[in-house]
Amino acid sequence: MIPTDKSAEKFERQMNLLAALSDTVQGVRAIDIQQRVPGYNADHDSFRRTFERDKKDLLSLGVPIEVVTGATAELTAYRVDKSKYELPDPGLESDELAALHLALETVTVGSSPGDMARAMWRLGGVVDAASSDSAGIPVGEITEIPSNASLVPLFRAVTERRVVSFTYESSAGTSKRSVEPWHLDFKRGRWNLTAFDLERSEQRNFRLDRVRSEVQLEDPGSQSHPIPSTPSEQADPWEFGDNEPVVMTVRFDAEVSDFARQSLSSCTVTEQSGGAASFQVPVANWPAFRSFVLSFLDHAEIIEPPEARAAMIEWLELIEGGDRG
Amino acid sequence: MADMTAAERLDRTLAIVPWVANQPDGTATISEISERFAIDADDLRDCLIITSMVGVHPYTPDLLINAIVDADTVTIDLPDYFRRPLRLTAEQTFALLTSAKALLSVPGADHSSALARGLEKVLRTLGEGSETAVDIGIDTAPDAITELLRSAIERRQAVEITYYSYGRDDTGTRRINPWAIHSEGGLWYLQGWCHASNAERVFRIDRIRQADITDAEFVAPNPLPSFELFDGSNALGRITLLLQPDARWVTEYYPAESIDLHPDGTATIVLAIGSMAWLERLLLRLGPDAAVVDATPELQGVGGAAARRLLSIYRD
Repeated sequence: MIPTDKSAEKFERQMNLLAALSDTVQGVRAIDIQQRVPGYNADHDSFRRTFERDKKDLLSLGVPIEVVTGATAELTAYRVDKSKYELPDPGLESDELAALHLALETVTVGSSPGDMARAMWRLGGVVDAASSDSAGIPVGEITEIPSNASLVPLFRAVTERRVVSFTYESSAGTSKRSVEPWHLDFKRGRWNLTAFDLERSEQRNFRLDRVRSEVQLEDPGSQSHPIPSTPSEQADPWEFGDNEPVVMTVRFDAEVSDFARQSLSSCTVTEQSGGAASFQVPVANWPAFRSFVLSFLDHAEIIEPPEARAAMIEWLELIEGGDRG
Repeated sequence: MADMTAAERLDRTLAIVPWVANQPDGTATISEISERFAIDADDLRDCLIITSMVGVHPYTPDLLINAIVDADTVTIDLPDYFRRPLRLTAEQTFALLTSAKALLSVPGADHSSALARGLEKVLRTLGEGSETAVDIGIDTAPDAITELLRSAIERRQAVEITYYSYGRDDTGTRRINPWAIHSEGGLWYLQGWCHASNAERVFRIDRIRQADITDAEFVAPNPLPSFELFDGSNALGRITLLLQPDARWVTEYYPAESIDLHPDGTATIVLAIGSMAWLERLLLRLGPDAAVVDATPELQGVGGAAARRLLSIYRD
């Protein structure tokens, strides 16, 4: 039985519209779409409303509709560039397809499960679920990666080499930043962006939870600085600053020196008697580093420079004075 | 056709049509397609019948999609469009790369597995820059310890761990019945029964300094209790803080019993405190940006006392 309900009509009309847009090089004019694609109304306003809705639906699936502006709305042409529409064939074997499917089900990254099912259809559907063992996925471990509204726009900016701008809150205050995004990383529960800062003319690190506006994307290919071939090490919070880094020496007790070593693996370390160790750490963001050192409570002490010691003492005295209760 | 939204039907059909056309002889069985694309057989047949009427002006037979739908099979021959599925959206690509990379970042992950090969192939189709676009560093735990815990969980044998308790700021040895490993917020945790406290406990794996498997076997609860890092029910006490605008992030970071956001940018927050050292760290970190408004007796003066203790080190 051939369905005749409204949603079937819409489905057929949108399939025909997409065929028409895909089968043209110069683009097909709105007026021709109205006359030639079955399912559109002869009434001008009614056609316009339906056409705009259909276009929106196709765009939301990710169909790359291009607009060739004409003298009037009727003469404006539309087309779909096949090279931008078509998914290159990754040539996935069925076990690989099953493993990717399992990965999408095991790790949540904020996207809705429905959206992920659609990704699997495009890759060739879901085949018999492989056992997690053969897929290389550890058993019984479910991972949740926190999401952030800036993530997908910034990911697009990295892969499409776009310049972006956003409002950012740093220790120095809130300001508008214009950057070329190079790399996203997830470390110790936080998303970070490495980018070239166009105003400061150098590489900077940004925390995504400090982005205070929508990310504005400029055109694809608008980046002009080459991505360094050896991406710098993932940065620690105290490296995210607008000040010139100051090298500070911190001593950690034997009890915690192993943990300090995990966090400060790239710093110069001097072993001391009894398992204690002191580290030389370049610090661009004092409040972040102060918090890090304080998290070790009595087991860490800033040794050098004297200014940093004085700043720490001043901070602790404020707390001592403010809490006499 | 009632269950599917129009967008879902379109999306699925645009994936099914090229898949069928690319099969040998452009033919596949209805049952295989409906299983592979999770679509009801009747819905599928309806979609394909409509598809056979799709084409371009002037809709002569050579310009239509040639779809022959039989009782059990469908054969599709395509004009010069719809030959490949639609590209993945940025959201889909991001989720796919992130989830696959997250699982492959786990210590001991098999880098020749189907997942690793699949990821590699998908990356190749995405173009330059995609491979290095995202890095996931979920684990900071030493591989050897995670491996040992995993095998102890499987064999149902107790372990002895040397553990640094952040909450008590103290290192000690304890015997644990290891139940499961969890990941949350980028860190790995061991859930199990702690013999010393005679209660269920959660341990951060990167704070386990040493682990040994013992001969003692145990029976794990079935099902496992749900995994909770700290739920406030065993709190030491409660504290009310007035946070300055610079410290308002606390309201987003920690589970609070109540939060009042004030128009001037400050906030009042009530926290259930599970460990004294945790509260000390929070107050030392916030400094003058947090004022203690109220606290249960055992939590009074904690910040000032911690500051005095640290000052004595700096004044030596």
